[in-house]
Amino acid sequence: MNASRSARRGRIAPSAAGCLMLLPALAVIVLLVIVPMLVIARDSFAISDPLGGNLGGFTLDNYAKLIDPVYLKTLGYSLGMALLNAVVCTVVGYIVAYYIATRRASLQPVLLVLVIIPFLTDFLVRTFAWITLLGSGGPFISLLRAFGVDAQSLVPSQLAVTLSLLYAFLPVAVFPIYASMRSIDPSLKEAAADLGAGWWQTHARVFLPLSASGLASAVMLTFVPTLGVFVIPVLLGGGKDPLVGNLIVTLFTEFRNEPLGAALSMVVLILMLASVAGAGLLLRNGARRNRATRTGAAATGAARTTATRKAA
Amino acid sequence: MDRLTSWIARAVFVFLYLPIAALIVYSFNSSEVSYRFDGFTFRWYAELFADRMLLEALRTSAVVGLIAALLATVIGFLTAFALVRFRVKGRAFFVGAILIPLIVPEIVLGVSLLTVFSTAGIPTGLLTLVLGHVVITLPLATLVLMGAMSSLDPSLSEAATDLGASPWVTFRRVLFPLLRPSILAAFLLSFTTSFSNIVISTFTAGVGTTTLPLRIYSTLRTGLTPELNALGTLLVVATLGVILAVGVSQMRRILAGPTTTP
Repeated sequence: MNASRSARRGRIAPSAAGCLMLLPALAVIVLLVIVPMLVIARDSFAISDPLGGNLGGFTLDNYAKLIDPVYLKTLGYSLGMALLNAVVCTVVGYIVAYYIATRRASLQPVLLVLVIIPFLTDFLVRTFAWITLLGSGGPFISLLRAFGVDAQSLVPSQLAVTLSLLYAFLPVAVFPIYASMRSIDPSLKEAAADLGAGWWQTHARVFLPLSASGLASAVMLTFVPTLGVFVIPVLLGGGKDPLVGNLIVTLFTEFRNEPLGAALSMVVLILMLASVAGAGLLLRNGARRNRATRTGAAATGAARTTATRKAA
Repeated sequence: MDRLTSWIARAVFVFLYLPIAALIVYSFNSSEVSYRFDGFTFRWYAELFADRMLLEALRTSAVVGLIAALLATVIGFLTAFALVRFRVKGRAFFVGAILIPLIVPEIVLGVSLLTVFSTAGIPTGLLTLVLGHVVITLPLATLVLMGAMSSLDPSLSEAATDLGASPWVTFRRVLFPLLRPSILAAFLLSFTTSFSNIVISTFTAGVGTTTLPLRIYSTLRTGLTPELNALGTLLVVATLGVILAVGVSQMRRILAGPTTTP
């Protein structure tokens, strides 16, 4: 709408100073992000000597080696875990964001800050707190025992890994969903109710489409970092069922097989870019539907409808 | 259904604080092993302050965090200023480039940085740690500052110019005071991100530049000690301090966008 025009207002023609200001960031991005990724792309085709050195040259051996069931299993498991965690974080994040957004205005910042505190707490502290919580003799096991359940330590376990992944990334999902949900006109909920929509319909046809951009960000922002995690499986999973992050670290630091590690990194990178592109595509479709929904919700006033039509 | 989801949401808030509560309670546990709760003690806090290696790691993290956050904030400020105030060709492309570190898994960034450093013959240490942390904090600082700058009314600086203020005076007397809370927020967000980073640090730290998370991680691999619970409790308190310093409303704006509906 007018947002882009008003943002452009007051923007002045670029000067030498303006270009100079962009130089430091450009240097950081090119020298410390783009060049390193090109180097690792090149290394992924390099020949590795048996001692783990990098002999240069060009070969597809590293990628061929990754077809080994051991690697495929880890990659599949990691993708599954990352996707599961992203979906669970997003669903739970949606519920929490909806809860916060429908509280009274003075309570909303308080609830949001309650989500921020664990988010800003040190990642490792958040992780090892689960060892205390679920470990043998910890509060959880003691409670189970008090109820007569013969429980053992839950660390290491798959459950501990899953719970702490959710714990680590849930706040990241709440923020973007809340941000997109807050701009939804609350009268839409009443309008939907007046038109006879039940809970499911109100969400499926009004709230979900209108917060689609937040949901897409939430999936991305939880999926990407989960795929890079390597601390949680070691500390809470006992090193069984490693994620691809553990494998990359092992290849680089213990096996010193840089070309193989580089190839695995490239595979992860490509999968990631593909999912970003996929999310972008979904989002664009979502936005189109979104506009249609808004136009459809004419009950909320002609002003909104004209504005959206103009934008479309 | 609304009642059910409300109860789920409330349960999530409990879930968010259960581990933190356990951490705090068990940091005062007098039992040697964290197996059961024996009684109250301050002993672990005392041992914490006597642990030379931990304090050394804390110092490294603080130094790296301060330098990286300072660099990220300054570079992020310049970038945000140029992108918001000037008509820059290929603006969308540039914004996209700034965001790359957010969409590339940190582990891939880490190994590629390590490869470049070793190819270029730069020994891993304080310098490489700072560079690695700048990479991951720059997008955050830039996003926070871009958000703050684009919500500033451009007529404010136009008015200053009309009143005869030079660009520098306009910046110093008008823009900077208005942006100060956001600058502080960008700095503290960068600092906390750097301070708790483990993935990039694993690859960019050198011998003798162990950061606090790396130290905690290597200790944890042999088992959780009550001393770590005490350290965690102090870090939770420090986090609260950071949030209060930035201001609750500011924090909310950074993480969930401006309050005004579009």
